[in-house]
Amino acid sequence: MSALAGFWAARELWQAPLLASGIAGAMLGFLGVYVVLRRIVFVSAALTQVSTLGLVVGLFLEERLHIEAEHAHHQLGMAMGFAVVGALLLGAWRPRRLPAEASVGAAWVVASALVVLGIARLVHVSHDLSGMVFGNAVAVPPEELWLIGGVGLACAALHAAFGKELRFVSFDPETARALGMRVWLWDAIFSLSIGLAIPAAARVVGALPVFALLTLPAAAALLWRLRLGPALWAAGGFGVLSAVGGYLASWFGETPTGATMVALAALLVLPGAALRGRG
Amino acid sequence: MTTTPLISLRDAAVGYGRRPLLRAVNVQVRPGDFLALVGPNGGGKTTVLRSLLGALPLLGGAREQPRPVRVGYVPQRDHVDAVWPFTVGEVAAMGRTPGLGPLRRPGPADRAAVERALDRVGIAELRGRPYAELSGGQRQRTLIARALAAEPELLAVDEPTNGMDPAAELSTMEVLRALHGGGLAVVMVSHRLDAVVAHAVTLGFVDRERALFRVGPAAEMLRPGALAELYGREVEVREEAGRRVVLPAARGGGP
Repeated sequence: MSALAGFWAARELWQAPLLASGIAGAMLGFLGVYVVLRRIVFVSAALTQVSTLGLVVGLFLEERLHIEAEHAHHQLGMAMGFAVVGALLLGAWRPRRLPAEASVGAAWVVASALVVLGIARLVHVSHDLSGMVFGNAVAVPPEELWLIGGVGLACAALHAAFGKELRFVSFDPETARALGMRVWLWDAIFSLSIGLAIPAAARVVGALPVFALLTLPAAAALLWRLRLGPALWAAGGFGVLSAVGGYLASWFGETPTGATMVALAALLVLPGAALRGRG
Repeated sequence: MTTTPLISLRDAAVGYGRRPLLRAVNVQVRPGDFLALVGPNGGGKTTVLRSLLGALPLLGGAREQPRPVRVGYVPQRDHVDAVWPFTVGEVAAMGRTPGLGPLRRPGPADRAAVERALDRVGIAELRGRPYAELSGGQRQRTLIARALAAEPELLAVDEPTNGMDPAAELSTMEVLRALHGGGLAVVMVSHRLDAVVAHAVTLGFVDRERALFRVGPAAEMLRPGALAELYGREVEVREEAGRRVVLPAARGGGP
Protein backbone atom coordinates (compact mmCIF):
# COMPACT_ATOMS: atom_id res chain seq x y z
CA MET A 1 0.00 0.00 0.00
CA SER A 2 1.38 3.39 -0.98
CA ALA A 3 1.93 6.08 1.64
CA LEU A 4 -1.00 8.09 0.30
CA ALA A 5 -3.31 5.10 0.24
CA GLY A 6 -2.27 4.25 3.79
CA PHE A 7 -2.90 7.81 4.82
CA TRP A 8 -6.39 7.78 3.31
CA ALA A 9 -7.19 4.45 4.87
CA ALA A 10 -6.31 5.86 8.27
CA ARG A 11 -8.49 8.96 7.82
CA GLU A 12 -10.53 8.26 10.92
CA LEU A 13 -7.33 8.75 12.88
CA TRP A 14 -6.29 12.08 11.40
CA GLN A 15 -9.50 13.83 10.38
CA ALA A 16 -10.33 15.34 13.76
CA PRO A 17 -6.73 16.25 14.74
CA LEU A 18 -6.10 17.80 11.34
CA LEU A 19 -9.26 19.90 11.50
CA ALA A 20 -8.57 20.89 15.11
CA SER A 21 -4.98 21.82 14.21
CA GLY A 22 -6.28 23.99 11.37
CA ILE A 23 -8.69 25.80 13.71
CA ALA A 24 -5.90 26.26 16.28
CA GLY A 25 -3.56 27.60 13.59
CA ALA A 26 -6.12 30.08 12.24
CA MET A 27 -7.11 31.31 15.69
CA LEU A 28 -3.57 31.64 17.04
CA GLY A 29 -2.26 33.20 13.82
CA PHE A 30 -4.98 35.86 13.95
CA LEU A 31 -4.54 36.61 17.67
CA GLY A 32 -0.77 36.53 17.24
CA VAL A 33 -0.88 39.75 15.20
CA TYR A 34 -2.19 41.54 18.29
CA VAL A 35 0.27 39.67 20.51
CA VAL A 36 3.25 40.71 18.37
CA LEU A 37 2.12 44.31 17.82
CA ARG A 38 1.22 44.82 21.49
CA ARG A 39 4.74 43.57 22.26
CA ILE A 40 3.47 40.84 24.58
CA VAL A 41 4.99 37.82 22.89
CA PHE A 42 6.40 36.61 26.21
CA VAL A 43 3.04 37.12 27.89
CA SER A 44 1.72 34.45 25.53
CA ALA A 45 4.64 32.18 26.44
CA ALA A 46 3.92 32.71 30.14
CA LEU A 47 0.20 32.07 29.62
CA THR A 48 0.94 28.85 27.79
CA GLN A 49 2.88 27.66 30.82
CA VAL A 50 0.23 28.98 33.22
CA SER A 51 -2.49 27.06 31.37
CA THR A 52 -0.38 23.88 31.51
CA LEU A 53 0.02 24.53 35.22
CA GLY A 54 -3.78 24.71 35.47
CA LEU A 55 -3.94 21.28 33.90
CA VAL A 56 -1.32 19.94 36.33
CA VAL A 57 -3.11 21.46 39.32
CA GLY A 58 -6.37 19.91 38.14
CA LEU A 59 -4.79 16.48 37.85
CA PHE A 60 -3.03 16.89 41.17
CA LEU A 61 -6.24 17.86 42.97
CA GLU A 62 -8.09 15.00 41.36
CA GLU A 63 -5.44 12.57 42.52
CA ARG A 64 -5.19 13.94 46.05
CA LEU A 65 -8.90 14.39 46.59
CA HIS A 66 -9.74 11.15 44.79
CA ILE A 67 -12.10 12.89 42.42
CA GLU A 68 -13.07 11.26 39.17
CA ALA A 69 -10.02 12.30 37.19
CA GLU A 70 -10.19 11.55 33.56
CA HIS A 71 -12.75 14.01 32.25
CA ALA A 72 -11.02 16.10 29.64
CA HIS A 73 -13.41 19.01 30.04
CA HIS A 74 -12.55 19.29 33.77
CA GLN A 75 -8.86 19.44 32.94
CA LEU A 76 -9.43 21.90 30.15
CA GLY A 77 -11.65 23.99 32.41
CA MET A 78 -8.82 24.26 34.92
CA ALA A 79 -6.33 25.16 32.18
CA MET A 80 -8.69 27.83 30.81
CA GLY A 81 -9.40 29.20 34.26
CA PHE A 82 -5.69 29.57 34.98
CA ALA A 83 -4.98 31.11 31.57
CA VAL A 84 -7.84 33.63 31.73
CA VAL A 85 -6.99 34.68 35.29
CA GLY A 86 -3.28 34.78 34.37
CA ALA A 87 -4.02 36.92 31.30
CA LEU A 88 -6.14 39.33 33.32
CA LEU A 89 -3.53 39.58 36.07
CA LEU A 90 -0.59 40.03 33.71
CA GLY A 91 -2.59 42.65 31.81
CA ALA A 92 -3.68 44.57 34.89
CA TRP A 93 -0.86 44.15 37.39
CA ARG A 94 2.01 46.45 36.58
CA PRO A 95 4.31 46.93 39.58
CA ARG A 96 5.46 50.52 39.51
CA ARG A 97 9.05 49.89 40.43
CA LEU A 98 9.59 47.00 38.03
CA PRO A 99 9.42 46.75 34.26
CA ALA A 100 6.42 44.75 32.98
CA GLU A 101 8.82 42.05 31.73
CA ALA A 102 9.70 41.19 35.33
CA SER A 103 6.19 39.97 36.20
CA VAL A 104 5.90 38.17 32.85
CA GLY A 105 9.27 36.46 33.38
CA ALA A 106 8.35 35.53 36.94
CA ALA A 107 5.02 34.05 35.80
CA TRP A 108 6.75 32.02 33.08
CA VAL A 109 9.56 30.66 35.20
CA VAL A 110 7.41 29.87 38.25
CA ALA A 111 4.71 28.20 36.14
CA SER A 112 7.38 26.21 34.25
CA ALA A 113 9.01 25.03 37.46
CA LEU A 114 5.68 24.03 38.97
CA VAL A 115 4.76 22.11 35.81
CA VAL A 116 8.04 20.18 36.03
CA LEU A 117 7.42 19.47 39.72
CA GLY A 118 3.86 18.41 38.92
CA ILE A 119 5.02 16.08 36.16
CA ALA A 120 7.51 14.54 38.60
CA ARG A 121 4.74 13.87 41.13
CA LEU A 122 2.10 12.74 38.66
CA VAL A 123 4.07 9.82 37.31
CA HIS A 124 1.08 8.05 35.81
CA VAL A 125 0.21 10.98 33.53
CA SER A 126 3.69 12.37 32.98
CA HIS A 127 3.85 11.01 29.43
CA ASP A 128 0.61 12.81 28.47
CA LEU A 129 1.76 16.00 30.17
CA SER A 130 5.09 15.93 28.37
CA GLY A 131 3.13 15.57 25.15
CA MET A 132 1.09 18.63 26.07
CA VAL A 133 4.20 20.70 26.72
CA PHE A 134 6.22 19.63 23.73
CA GLY A 135 3.41 19.14 21.28
CA ASN A 136 2.68 15.51 20.56
CA ALA A 137 -0.89 15.60 21.76
CA VAL A 138 -2.52 14.93 18.43
CA ALA A 139 -5.25 12.47 19.22
CA VAL A 140 -8.33 14.68 19.34
CA PRO A 141 -11.64 13.19 20.48
CA PRO A 142 -14.80 14.68 18.88
CA GLU A 143 -15.79 16.67 21.99
CA GLU A 144 -12.45 18.50 21.90
CA LEU A 145 -12.96 19.28 18.25
CA TRP A 146 -16.29 20.86 19.16
CA LEU A 147 -14.61 22.72 22.00
CA ILE A 148 -11.83 24.25 19.95
CA GLY A 149 -14.38 25.07 17.26
CA GLY A 150 -16.49 26.84 19.86
CA VAL A 151 -13.52 28.75 21.25
CA GLY A 152 -12.50 29.73 17.72
CA LEU A 153 -16.00 31.02 17.01
CA ALA A 154 -16.10 32.90 20.32
CA CYS A 155 -12.77 34.61 19.55
CA ALA A 156 -13.91 35.44 16.03
CA ALA A 157 -17.17 36.88 17.37
CA LEU A 158 -15.39 39.01 20.00
CA HIS A 159 -12.97 40.41 17.45
CA ALA A 160 -15.64 40.95 14.80
CA ALA A 161 -17.87 42.79 17.26
CA PHE A 162 -15.24 44.86 19.04
CA GLY A 163 -12.43 45.03 16.49
CA LYS A 164 -12.34 48.81 16.22
CA GLU A 165 -12.18 49.26 20.00
CA LEU A 166 -9.51 46.56 20.39
CA ARG A 167 -7.42 48.18 17.65
CA PHE A 168 -7.70 51.64 19.14
CA VAL A 169 -6.85 50.69 22.74
CA SER A 170 -4.04 48.41 21.55
CA PHE A 171 -2.52 51.11 19.33
CA ASP A 172 -2.90 54.09 21.63
CA PRO A 173 -4.24 53.31 25.11
CA GLU A 174 -3.29 56.77 26.40
CA THR A 175 -5.58 58.56 23.96
CA ALA A 176 -8.34 55.99 24.37
CA ARG A 177 -8.21 56.55 28.14
CA ALA A 178 -8.16 60.34 27.74
CA LEU A 179 -11.28 60.11 25.59
CA GLY A 180 -13.15 58.17 28.25
CA MET A 181 -12.87 54.67 26.82
CA ARG A 182 -12.68 51.91 29.42
CA VAL A 183 -9.29 50.61 28.35
CA TRP A 184 -9.21 48.04 31.18
CA LEU A 185 -12.42 46.50 29.85
CA TRP A 186 -11.14 46.17 26.26
CA ASP A 187 -7.82 44.82 27.53
CA ALA A 188 -9.78 42.30 29.60
CA ILE A 189 -11.77 41.23 26.52
CA PHE A 190 -8.51 40.75 24.62
CA SER A 191 -7.02 38.84 27.56
CA LEU A 192 -10.14 36.69 27.67
CA SER A 193 -9.74 35.77 24.01
CA ILE A 194 -6.11 34.68 24.38
CA GLY A 195 -6.85 33.10 27.77
CA LEU A 196 -9.45 30.87 26.09
CA ALA A 197 -7.50 30.23 22.89
CA ILE A 198 -4.20 29.17 24.45
CA PRO A 199 -5.40 26.21 26.56
CA ALA A 200 -7.88 25.05 23.93
CA ALA A 201 -5.13 25.04 21.30
CA ALA A 202 -2.53 23.61 23.67
CA ARG A 203 -4.84 20.65 24.25
CA VAL A 204 -4.76 19.95 20.51
CA VAL A 205 -1.22 20.77 19.39
CA GLY A 206 0.80 21.16 22.60
CA ALA A 207 2.25 24.13 24.42
CA LEU A 208 5.37 24.70 22.32
CA PRO A 209 3.48 24.99 19.00
CA VAL A 210 0.98 27.31 20.67
CA PHE A 211 3.75 29.77 21.49
CA ALA A 212 5.16 29.37 17.98
CA LEU A 213 1.77 29.82 16.29
CA LEU A 214 1.12 32.97 18.32
CA THR A 215 4.39 34.46 17.12
CA LEU A 216 5.69 33.18 13.80
CA PRO A 217 2.63 33.44 11.48
CA ALA A 218 2.05 37.01 12.70
CA ALA A 219 5.70 37.86 12.11
CA ALA A 220 5.51 36.27 8.64
CA ALA A 221 2.43 38.34 7.75
CA LEU A 222 3.74 41.62 9.17
CA LEU A 223 7.02 41.28 7.29
CA TRP A 224 5.02 41.54 4.06
CA ARG A 225 4.17 45.16 5.02
CA LEU A 226 0.45 44.45 4.89
CA ARG A 227 -2.12 46.74 6.48
CA LEU A 228 -3.64 45.45 9.69
CA GLY A 229 -6.80 43.90 8.18
CA PRO A 230 -4.97 41.91 5.49
CA ALA A 231 -2.21 41.04 7.99
CA LEU A 232 -4.79 39.45 10.30
CA TRP A 233 -6.13 37.29 7.46
CA ALA A 234 -2.64 36.42 6.21
CA ALA A 235 -1.46 35.48 9.70
CA GLY A 236 -4.54 33.27 10.13
CA GLY A 237 -3.70 31.63 6.80
CA PHE A 238 -0.05 31.13 7.72
CA GLY A 239 -1.22 29.63 11.01
CA VAL A 240 -3.41 27.12 9.16
CA LEU A 241 -0.56 26.29 6.76
CA SER A 242 1.87 25.77 9.65
CA ALA A 243 -0.47 23.62 11.74
CA VAL A 244 -2.05 21.55 8.95
CA GLY A 245 1.14 21.35 6.89
CA GLY A 246 3.15 20.47 9.98
CA TYR A 247 0.67 17.73 10.91
CA LEU A 248 0.79 16.23 7.43
CA ALA A 249 4.59 16.52 7.19
CA SER A 250 4.95 14.81 10.55
CA TRP A 251 2.62 12.02 9.44
CA PHE A 252 4.54 11.28 6.27
CA GLY A 253 7.99 12.09 7.67
CA GLU A 254 7.33 10.31 10.98
CA THR A 255 8.65 13.32 12.87
CA PRO A 256 7.37 14.83 16.15
CA THR A 257 4.19 16.72 15.25
CA GLY A 258 4.58 19.85 17.37
CA ALA A 259 8.19 20.45 16.42
CA THR A 260 7.35 19.96 12.73
CA MET A 261 4.60 22.59 12.99
CA VAL A 262 7.06 25.01 14.59
CA ALA A 263 9.68 24.34 11.91
CA LEU A 264 7.16 24.95 9.12
CA ALA A 265 5.94 28.16 10.79
CA ALA A 266 9.55 29.33 10.96
CA LEU A 267 10.06 28.53 7.27
CA LEU A 268 7.06 30.68 6.37
CA VAL A 269 8.77 33.69 7.96
CA LEU A 270 11.68 33.48 5.52
CA PRO A 271 10.09 34.97 2.35
CA GLY A 272 8.91 38.06 4.24
CA ALA A 273 12.27 38.41 5.96
CA ALA A 274 14.03 38.18 2.59
CA LEU A 275 11.68 40.83 1.19
CA ARG A 276 12.43 43.13 4.11
CA GLY A 277 16.13 42.39 3.76
CA ARG A 278 16.03 43.71 0.19
CA GLY A 279 14.61 46.93 1.65
CA MET B 1 -19.38 89.01 29.11
CA THR B 2 -17.82 85.85 30.50
CA THR B 3 -18.77 82.48 29.08
CA THR B 4 -19.37 79.35 31.11
CA PRO B 5 -16.18 77.24 31.32
CA LEU B 6 -16.15 74.02 29.34
CA ILE B 7 -14.12 72.30 32.05
CA SER B 8 -12.56 73.49 35.28
CA LEU B 9 -10.59 72.19 38.23
CA ARG B 10 -11.29 73.75 41.57
CA ASP B 11 -8.79 73.45 44.40
CA ALA B 12 -7.76 70.13 42.92
CA ALA B 13 -5.03 67.79 44.14
CA VAL B 14 -3.63 65.91 41.14
CA GLY B 15 -1.31 62.91 40.96
CA TYR B 16 -1.06 59.15 40.65
CA GLY B 17 -1.75 56.60 43.36
CA ARG B 18 -2.35 58.36 46.65
CA ARG B 19 0.35 61.04 46.60
CA PRO B 20 -0.58 64.36 45.02
CA LEU B 21 2.02 65.88 42.71
CA LEU B 22 0.33 69.26 42.94
CA ARG B 23 -2.28 70.73 45.26
CA ALA B 24 -4.58 73.73 44.99
CA VAL B 25 -4.84 73.53 41.21
CA ASN B 26 -7.43 76.01 39.95
CA VAL B 27 -7.89 76.30 36.22
CA GLN B 28 -10.69 76.86 33.75
CA VAL B 29 -10.95 76.29 30.01
CA ARG B 30 -13.53 78.48 28.28
CA PRO B 31 -14.83 78.17 24.71
CA GLY B 32 -12.28 79.67 22.32
CA ASP B 33 -9.49 79.71 24.90
CA PHE B 34 -5.88 78.77 24.13
CA LEU B 35 -4.40 77.59 27.39
CA ALA B 36 -0.73 76.59 27.38
CA LEU B 37 0.61 74.67 30.37
CA VAL B 38 4.35 75.26 30.56
CA GLY B 39 6.96 73.84 32.88
CA PRO B 40 9.95 71.53 33.10
CA ASN B 41 9.86 67.89 32.01
CA GLY B 42 8.34 65.79 34.78
CA GLY B 43 6.86 68.92 36.31
CA GLY B 44 3.27 67.65 36.31
CA LYS B 45 1.88 69.33 33.17
CA THR B 46 0.52 66.13 31.61
CA THR B 47 -0.90 65.11 34.98
CA VAL B 48 -2.84 68.38 35.15
CA LEU B 49 -4.01 67.89 31.55
CA ARG B 50 -5.22 64.34 32.21
CA SER B 51 -6.94 65.46 35.38
CA LEU B 52 -8.61 68.29 33.51
CA LEU B 53 -9.92 65.83 30.92
CA GLY B 54 -11.20 63.51 33.63
CA ALA B 55 -8.87 60.70 32.52
CA LEU B 56 -7.10 60.75 35.90
CA PRO B 57 -9.16 60.74 39.10
CA LEU B 58 -8.56 63.71 41.38
CA LEU B 59 -7.00 63.12 44.78
CA GLY B 60 -8.88 66.12 46.15
CA GLY B 61 -10.95 69.10 45.07
CA ALA B 62 -13.42 69.08 42.22
CA ARG B 63 -13.63 68.80 38.44
CA GLU B 64 -16.55 70.65 36.95
CA GLN B 65 -18.03 70.20 33.53
CA PRO B 66 -21.45 71.83 33.23
CA ARG B 67 -22.36 69.91 30.05
CA PRO B 68 -20.91 67.11 27.93
CA VAL B 69 -17.93 68.39 25.94
CA ARG B 70 -16.54 66.74 22.81
CA VAL B 71 -12.80 66.45 23.38
CA GLY B 72 -10.02 65.67 20.93
CA TYR B 73 -6.78 64.43 22.47
CA VAL B 74 -3.35 64.46 20.85
CA PRO B 75 -0.78 62.45 22.84
CA GLN B 76 2.96 62.89 22.69
CA ARG B 77 3.98 61.58 19.30
CA ASP B 78 6.50 59.09 20.67
CA HIS B 79 3.85 57.56 22.95
CA VAL B 80 2.16 56.13 19.86
CA ASP B 81 3.74 52.90 18.67
CA ALA B 82 4.48 53.23 14.95
CA VAL B 83 5.00 49.46 14.62
CA TRP B 84 1.24 49.11 13.99
CA PRO B 85 0.60 48.88 10.23
CA PHE B 86 -2.07 51.57 10.03
CA THR B 87 -2.44 54.10 7.25
CA VAL B 88 -2.93 57.81 7.92
CA GLY B 89 -6.62 57.42 7.06
CA GLU B 90 -7.04 54.49 9.47
CA VAL B 91 -5.37 56.38 12.32
CA ALA B 92 -7.54 59.44 11.68
CA ALA B 93 -10.67 57.27 11.57
CA MET B 94 -9.95 56.05 15.11
CA GLY B 95 -11.05 59.48 16.28
CA ARG B 96 -14.64 58.41 15.59
CA THR B 97 -14.40 55.23 17.69
CA PRO B 98 -15.34 56.59 21.14
CA GLY B 99 -18.34 58.45 19.69
CA LEU B 100 -19.59 55.46 17.72
CA GLY B 101 -19.59 53.04 20.61
CA PRO B 102 -19.32 49.25 20.40
CA LEU B 103 -20.99 47.19 17.66
CA ARG B 104 -21.48 50.18 15.33
CA ARG B 105 -19.45 50.49 12.17
CA PRO B 106 -18.40 53.85 10.69
CA GLY B 107 -20.87 55.19 8.13
CA PRO B 108 -20.73 57.90 5.44
CA ALA B 109 -20.96 60.70 8.03
CA ASP B 110 -17.96 59.29 9.88
CA ARG B 111 -15.95 58.98 6.69
CA ALA B 112 -16.82 62.55 5.74
CA ALA B 113 -15.71 63.81 9.17
CA VAL B 114 -12.37 62.00 8.76
CA GLU B 115 -11.88 63.54 5.30
CA ARG B 116 -12.62 67.01 6.66
CA ALA B 117 -10.14 66.47 9.48
CA LEU B 118 -7.39 65.34 7.09
CA ASP B 119 -8.13 68.37 4.92
CA ARG B 120 -7.99 70.81 7.83
CA VAL B 121 -4.45 69.78 8.72
CA GLY B 122 -3.36 69.56 5.08
CA ILE B 123 -2.61 65.83 4.79
CA ALA B 124 -5.56 64.58 2.72
CA GLU B 125 -3.15 63.34 0.06
CA LEU B 126 -1.36 61.16 2.64
CA ARG B 127 -4.46 59.17 3.65
CA GLY B 128 -3.19 55.91 2.13
CA ARG B 129 0.39 56.22 3.42
CA PRO B 130 1.57 53.99 6.29
CA TYR B 131 1.79 55.97 9.53
CA ALA B 132 5.19 54.38 10.21
CA GLU B 133 6.66 55.93 7.06
CA LEU B 134 5.78 59.54 7.94
CA SER B 135 8.07 62.29 9.18
CA GLY B 136 7.63 63.59 12.72
CA GLY B 137 5.64 66.60 11.52
CA GLN B 138 3.36 64.44 9.35
CA ARG B 139 2.73 62.04 12.25
CA GLN B 140 1.84 64.99 14.44
CA ARG B 141 -0.65 66.23 11.85
CA THR B 142 -2.11 62.74 11.58
CA LEU B 143 -2.68 62.63 15.34
CA ILE B 144 -4.23 66.10 15.23
CA ALA B 145 -6.47 64.95 12.36
CA ARG B 146 -7.56 61.97 14.47
CA ALA B 147 -8.50 64.33 17.28
CA LEU B 148 -10.36 66.61 14.85
CA ALA B 149 -12.26 63.66 13.36
CA ALA B 150 -14.26 63.60 16.60
CA GLU B 151 -15.42 67.17 15.77
CA PRO B 152 -14.30 68.40 19.18
CA GLU B 153 -15.02 71.65 20.99
CA LEU B 154 -11.82 71.27 22.96
CA LEU B 155 -8.49 70.07 21.62
CA ALA B 156 -5.95 68.84 24.19
CA VAL B 157 -2.41 68.54 22.84
CA ASP B 158 0.53 67.09 24.77
CA GLU B 159 4.01 68.35 23.74
CA PRO B 160 3.22 68.53 20.02
CA THR B 161 6.56 70.06 19.01
CA ASN B 162 8.80 67.74 21.03
CA GLY B 163 11.82 66.64 19.00
CA MET B 164 10.83 68.59 15.90
CA ASP B 165 13.08 70.66 13.68
CA PRO B 166 12.22 74.39 13.61
CA ALA B 167 10.32 74.21 10.31
CA ALA B 168 8.11 71.34 11.48
CA GLU B 169 7.58 73.07 14.83
CA LEU B 170 6.49 76.27 13.12
CA SER B 171 4.20 74.37 10.80
CA THR B 172 2.58 72.42 13.67
CA MET B 173 2.03 75.59 15.67
CA GLU B 174 0.49 77.24 12.59
CA VAL B 175 -1.99 74.35 12.37
CA LEU B 176 -2.91 74.78 16.03
CA ARG B 177 -3.21 78.54 15.64
CA ALA B 178 -5.51 78.12 12.63
CA LEU B 179 -7.68 75.64 14.54
CA HIS B 180 -7.89 78.02 17.48
CA GLY B 181 -8.70 80.85 15.06
CA GLY B 182 -11.58 78.72 13.78
CA GLY B 183 -13.15 78.76 17.24
CA LEU B 184 -11.69 75.61 18.81
CA ALA B 185 -10.60 75.76 22.45
CA VAL B 186 -7.03 74.47 22.75
CA VAL B 187 -5.15 73.23 25.79
CA MET B 188 -1.52 72.59 25.04
CA VAL B 189 1.27 71.21 27.18
CA SER B 190 4.86 72.22 26.43
CA HIS B 191 8.14 72.33 28.29
CA ARG B 192 9.18 75.28 26.11
CA LEU B 193 7.66 78.68 26.70
CA ASP B 194 9.17 79.80 23.36
CA ALA B 195 6.98 77.33 21.50
CA VAL B 196 3.69 78.70 22.86
CA VAL B 197 4.36 82.30 23.78
CA ALA B 198 3.14 83.66 20.45
CA HIS B 199 -0.12 81.71 20.52
CA ALA B 200 -1.39 81.27 24.07
CA VAL B 201 -4.25 83.38 25.38
CA THR B 202 -3.91 81.93 28.86
CA LEU B 203 -0.70 80.60 30.38
CA GLY B 204 -0.25 78.15 33.20
CA PHE B 205 3.11 77.56 34.87
CA VAL B 206 3.52 74.09 36.37
CA ASP B 207 6.42 72.74 38.40
CA ARG B 208 5.79 70.19 41.13
CA GLU B 209 9.35 70.55 42.48
CA ARG B 210 8.53 74.13 43.46
CA ALA B 211 4.87 73.36 44.27
CA LEU B 212 4.10 75.88 41.50
CA PHE B 213 0.78 76.06 39.73
CA ARG B 214 -0.09 79.50 38.54
CA VAL B 215 -2.41 80.39 35.71
CA GLY B 216 -3.51 83.70 34.20
CA PRO B 217 -3.85 85.76 31.02
CA ALA B 218 -0.72 85.51 28.87
CA ALA B 219 0.09 89.22 29.15
CA GLU B 220 0.07 88.98 32.93
CA MET B 221 2.06 85.75 33.08
CA LEU B 222 4.77 87.12 30.80
CA ARG B 223 5.72 89.80 33.28
CA PRO B 224 9.18 89.36 34.83
CA GLY B 225 7.82 88.51 38.29
CA ALA B 226 5.68 85.60 37.08
CA LEU B 227 8.39 84.33 34.74
CA ALA B 228 10.96 84.37 37.54
CA GLU B 229 8.72 81.92 39.45
CA LEU B 230 8.86 79.47 36.57
CA TYR B 231 12.53 79.80 35.67
CA GLY B 232 13.91 80.44 39.16
CA ARG B 233 15.88 83.39 37.78
CA GLU B 234 15.30 86.77 36.15
CA VAL B 235 14.10 86.41 32.54
CA GLU B 236 12.32 88.62 30.07
CA VAL B 237 10.29 88.28 26.91
CA ARG B 238 11.45 90.26 23.88
CA GLU B 239 9.98 90.74 20.43
CA GLU B 240 12.53 89.74 17.77
CA ALA B 241 11.66 89.61 14.07
CA GLY B 242 7.98 89.49 14.92
CA ARG B 243 8.38 86.55 17.35
CA ARG B 244 8.43 86.60 21.10
CA VAL B 245 11.46 84.93 22.66
CA VAL B 246 12.34 84.31 26.30
CA LEU B 247 15.83 85.44 27.28
CA PRO B 248 17.80 85.79 30.52
CA ALA B 249 17.26 89.32 31.84
CA ALA B 250 19.98 91.73 30.75
CA ARG B 251 22.21 92.83 33.66
CA GLY B 252 23.46 96.37 33.90
CA GLY B 253 21.24 97.61 31.09
CA GLY B 254 23.62 96.72 28.22
CA PRO B 255 22.28 94.91 25.12
